[in-house]
Amino acid sequence: MALQACRSLIALAPTALLSLYPLPALAQTTASREPIKLGAVISATGAIAGVGLPEREGILLAQKTLNARGGVNGQPIEILIEDDASSPDVAVSKVNALVHSHKVKALIGTSGIAQTVAVGGITAPLKLTQIAFSGLGPAVERERTCVFHITPSQELNARALLSYVRDMKASKVGVLHDSGYGQVVWNSMKDLAGEFGVTWSQVEKFEIAATDLTTQAAKVRASAPEAVIVISTSPMPFRNARQVRLTAPIISVHGTATYDYVKAMGDAADNIIHAEFLIAEDPLPHQREFVDLFQKEHGRLPKHFEAAGWDAVMSLAQALKTAGPDAANEALCSAMRRPYQGVMAKFDFSAPDMGGLTLASFNYSKLVKGKFTRLDYSAAK
Amino acid sequence: MSASLVMQAILSGITNGFVYALIGIGLAVIFKGTQIINAMQGEFAVIGAMVTVFALEPAGLPYGLSILLGVISGAAAGVIIDRLFVQPMMRQRAGEESFLLLTIGLAVTLSAAVLYLAGRNSYLLPSWGEEGVIEILDAFLQIQALWLIGTAIIVVVGLRLFYGRTLLGLSMMAASMDPDGAATNGINVRRMRSLTFLLGGTIGAIAGILVAPLVAVNYHMGIALTLKGFAAAILGGLSNPLGAVLGGVTLGLLESLAVVGFPSGYKDVIALAMMIVIMIVMPNGLLGRVGRIGG
Repeated sequence: MALQACRSLIALAPTALLSLYPLPALAQTTASREPIKLGAVISATGAIAGVGLPEREGILLAQKTLNARGGVNGQPIEILIEDDASSPDVAVSKVNALVHSHKVKALIGTSGIAQTVAVGGITAPLKLTQIAFSGLGPAVERERTCVFHITPSQELNARALLSYVRDMKASKVGVLHDSGYGQVVWNSMKDLAGEFGVTWSQVEKFEIAATDLTTQAAKVRASAPEAVIVISTSPMPFRNARQVRLTAPIISVHGTATYDYVKAMGDAADNIIHAEFLIAEDPLPHQREFVDLFQKEHGRLPKHFEAAGWDAVMSLAQALKTAGPDAANEALCSAMRRPYQGVMAKFDFSAPDMGGLTLASFNYSKLVKGKFTRLDYSAAK
Repeated sequence: MSASLVMQAILSGITNGFVYALIGIGLAVIFKGTQIINAMQGEFAVIGAMVTVFALEPAGLPYGLSILLGVISGAAAGVIIDRLFVQPMMRQRAGEESFLLLTIGLAVTLSAAVLYLAGRNSYLLPSWGEEGVIEILDAFLQIQALWLIGTAIIVVVGLRLFYGRTLLGLSMMAASMDPDGAATNGINVRRMRSLTFLLGGTIGAIAGILVAPLVAVNYHMGIALTLKGFAAAILGGLSNPLGAVLGGVTLGLLESLAVVGFPSGYKDVIALAMMIVIMIVMPNGLLGRVGRIGG
């Protein structure tokens, strides 16, 4: 606690010093004007806190950066961040409060599909702009044209993995997936085998909280796969696959391409290939500024969940600049519907999936001694 | 179905089974000593493992000392919970359901506290002995699993001797079975209950420290551990640590062998259906009435 207090004092010191000097005119204007209120609902606790917490870091960094640069047309933004505890019910009540009590101009979040579908029922009838961290989900979301999606749909995730498998000339593919996120992606992937010229040698499912799944990994190994796709939010399948000496290349989704998971995988992380977005060790030109800012702020490298938080705020700020901070809901939603070069990727919010990510949006990395190294591969052909 | 796959299922089932068993043993100890179903037993495991992790890495303490601190933290958590929450409710003569609600609430609260203090990361501890796996008939068992199994057996034997042969153990059982009679005979019932929570917290922390080299621990794994441990303890007879081991290994093997014979999506259905059959045939658990009485 003492350390935190010291850090807070150190962080406040430059602000205190700055207050002694006259500020530039723009900043003075920004500070004196009423902030534009935005709402954000993320999962900071509960089952998907591992996703929600980095999203919050990205949101906060974007807010700080944006306001330091003069806000939206000289007006600062204020983001009211709420935690839905990974629960759709809680998300609904938080969004109701943000929309009806705090009168927010737009909503950022939520972190999970179930929560996004639930709160879309509140934002869609109002035409309130919502930028969700989940990809396009059930059919009902296609009609919610003011709910924009900043991460790929599960089908696109599946295609990104299968493209790599196809291009590495693997035809017999084993799959290890968990019963949560993994099941959702697998549902989108299972019918794509023919299109990508692969056959499933063995498909094994396990619980998210499984403590040992070497039996499932051994079954996959026994099927002699040429590649193995692992879809999970747990490091266990990677560790167990290596323990049973499963030597086929392992390809995985962006959900496990985080430093937390890599640490938890231990030595088993080596050589795992991820279809992901932000390889902070070797960022693309449009990603470098964010990586530098984040590293300066937190002393560590970001991944795509942090970038998603940043992109949500910055894309919304661009729409606010276009439509004006006092624009009606429908006008702001309409201003969102255009291409936007984000950190994660280039979005096209006018696309039918309200996100516009494509196979070209993915970057591919291989883990080498705990670091993500860029692969010279693109799924877009 | 190859022999190596069946062997892998057996080894995996035994490993998982002893994880469930160690949590189940802690549950059984607390139930035996207080008649409380402790829904936060998995949190003791998380606390023990997390304290060991942080003592080892940022603090740079030797592994042995870190483990000792982890075990002490679990024991301390048990005593604190007893003093702050259980004893005041005992004085108000709260019912079983109130204690169940209390421990569920504490499980959620402790999980949030671990998230706040340790963050969302998952943490692994180094293996106790040599890293790696041993190969048996083309199947693999992690060396750490042998430590887990060996320690669980030592804990069960130690508890059996403690409850059967020592004055303190007998006093703890007496305080649980007949508090008024025990008090009449000069036993400090309140202290015996505190010691029961201390013992439950200690066993929980040992479980967490043994599991952490196999499974990366994080703030939300406590509840999942409790659920499996609870199933193991019920299956074996709730007040019997030996029963928790039998229950845990049975559950682990049922889950694992189900994967061999059926698509893995049906694993839980098959394992839980088998558990229902066992409970219908043996409603007092695998050890029957002996298991209920304890041993």
